[in-house]
Amino acid sequence: MSQEQADIKQGFRTKMFTPFWLILPSLLILFLIQVYPTLYTIVLSFQDRFPTGWEFVGLANFKQLAGSSLFQKGIGHTIIFLIGYVFLTTVFGFITALLLNTEIHYKGVYITLLFIPWVIAQIIAGMVFRLLFLPDYGLLSGIMQNPSIFPPNGISVLTATAPQSWFGNFPFPPSPAMYLLILASTWRALPFVMLLMLAAMQMIPRDIMESASIDGANGWQAIRFVLIPLMLPSMVVAIFNLILTGMNSVGIIFSLTGGGPGTSTSLLSFALYTIGWGQLRFGRAAALSMILALVNWLMIMATLRITRVEERSSQHV
Amino acid sequence: MFSRRPGLSRKWNKPIIHAALILITLFEMLPIFTTVLISFKSQQDITRKPPVLLPCDTSEKLIDLSACRWSVEGYKRVLAPKIKPDSLLGFELSGNMVRIYLVNNFIYAAAASFLVMILAGASGYAFSRFKFRGHKVLLTGIIAITSVPLLTNLLALYQMVISFRKSGLPFDDRVFIVVVYIGFYLPLSIWIAKGFFDAIPKDMEEAALIDGCSPMAALYYITMPLAMPGLLAVALLAFVGVWNDFMAGYLLIAKNEYKPAMFGLYEFLGQNILNLQVLAAACIIIALPVIILFLFTRKSFFKAMVEGGVKG
Repeated sequence: MSQEQADIKQGFRTKMFTPFWLILPSLLILFLIQVYPTLYTIVLSFQDRFPTGWEFVGLANFKQLAGSSLFQKGIGHTIIFLIGYVFLTTVFGFITALLLNTEIHYKGVYITLLFIPWVIAQIIAGMVFRLLFLPDYGLLSGIMQNPSIFPPNGISVLTATAPQSWFGNFPFPPSPAMYLLILASTWRALPFVMLLMLAAMQMIPRDIMESASIDGANGWQAIRFVLIPLMLPSMVVAIFNLILTGMNSVGIIFSLTGGGPGTSTSLLSFALYTIGWGQLRFGRAAALSMILALVNWLMIMATLRITRVEERSSQHV
Repeated sequence: MFSRRPGLSRKWNKPIIHAALILITLFEMLPIFTTVLISFKSQQDITRKPPVLLPCDTSEKLIDLSACRWSVEGYKRVLAPKIKPDSLLGFELSGNMVRIYLVNNFIYAAAASFLVMILAGASGYAFSRFKFRGHKVLLTGIIAITSVPLLTNLLALYQMVISFRKSGLPFDDRVFIVVVYIGFYLPLSIWIAKGFFDAIPKDMEEAALIDGCSPMAALYYITMPLAMPGLLAVALLAFVGVWNDFMAGYLLIAKNEYKPAMFGLYEFLGQNILNLQVLAAACIIIALPVIILFLFTRKSFFKAMVEGGVKG
């Protein structure tokens, strides 16, 4: 803060309009594409379309949404998906980063190869796994549908419905397709998490880890009591990032399962598409949009808070 | 970038680390290999039950590499080459995927990433170098309000597109979708660009300013050349993001001849439920350009990802 002010005094004493003109075009576009649509969605979520046109209906959209099974089950599907997806990507991303944070050869080759899935589009990632698990013809369907490996009848991953739910409306245990969706999403997001974790690990000063080992900490203790606490802020940011991308990923569902079988893989993001463009209930979809946006926004604010705390603490180092 | 830190686990055996890394790399690469494999199979090997990994079995042997039935049928169906004597190569690719969708994809991605680079560069510079009223509020606002993902705004954007089309004003879906992509990638790009500008020392610029150079000229002649690698990384990230987008192109564009490649792939999925070789070939044709781009630019790619990912 004081550094910046000193800079302004020295050389950047300038009229307001220079930064203003530099930022203005971006602000206009952001207003048109981000702010205005958000406001529009808020208005829309309190309206419904009648033959006479759009009319204000109060909270009716939210009530109908809350009563629909697509929404109720969608919450469950989303939670199950996020738990599996975030857990797997974080754990394996951390392990991969740990392995790469050593003195070994071909590190660049590993990172490059590992990273390719992340640059592939979601819809292609879904397709790639669909080609493997498609009933009868997918390359792995021979194994999945083999009764002696998966008794009693083998699993037809993309068409088998979910078993009877244990908790009423909460769709647990999930259908086989949900496991596949988690697998495919993890496959694609793992490199991203790995990169963030690796960057965070490399920011930790070398001597801290060295002094831990001099003090007699073994590998696991050094990781558990020194590395993980130091990395925690970056980990939390990565996890929030994952929740954000996971909550809003639709492409992979489109090509992998199409939300099915039944609605067993339609997360809230896919339900938004179904309600909006499938059922043409735009008011209700807007209500769902608002709920999703609110959760997203809370995630982002939390991330910002954490990064700010992190920046402040890193200034003292 | 990834080479200086010695391991915390010096006691671990290197072979074990390599083995574990190879295992993870295999997990990440195998689905890609199988897709390539499927894309070179012929229809009768695709629809066999039970499926075989390699189309190389004969009636006597399980795998006979001399009897492999590789085929480029899938690629042929996607590209649909037609003989046309007066064109440059003697044939032209008449498939919609290459002729329309991939061209559109390239135009949208190139236009959006170029403009994102310029806009984010200008804003990032302003946020990095100037202190003005509302600086902090704007910066936080940009990341907070506007990084709500595209999906939740699609509904309103869709309604906007419909009313624009009805309004009779000159309106082009293609221009609009590029603006949407810019709006979508701008917030993160501004943050990344600001980070890159923050890392450039201000001394030279200040010297130029004291010598009477205008801020804009200082930006153009002194800071820009230094910031260029960072800005290119921003553009790269946006290019790959737009290239890979499905939902916005699918929902916001009305005419099929303006739709991007991911829509083409989705269309293929509807038409080729069992022609897996066609789907696999289409996947590879669409993904190959960004994979190649990534392989050549991976360093700046990682730099921008880390800068953006840590910030949120």
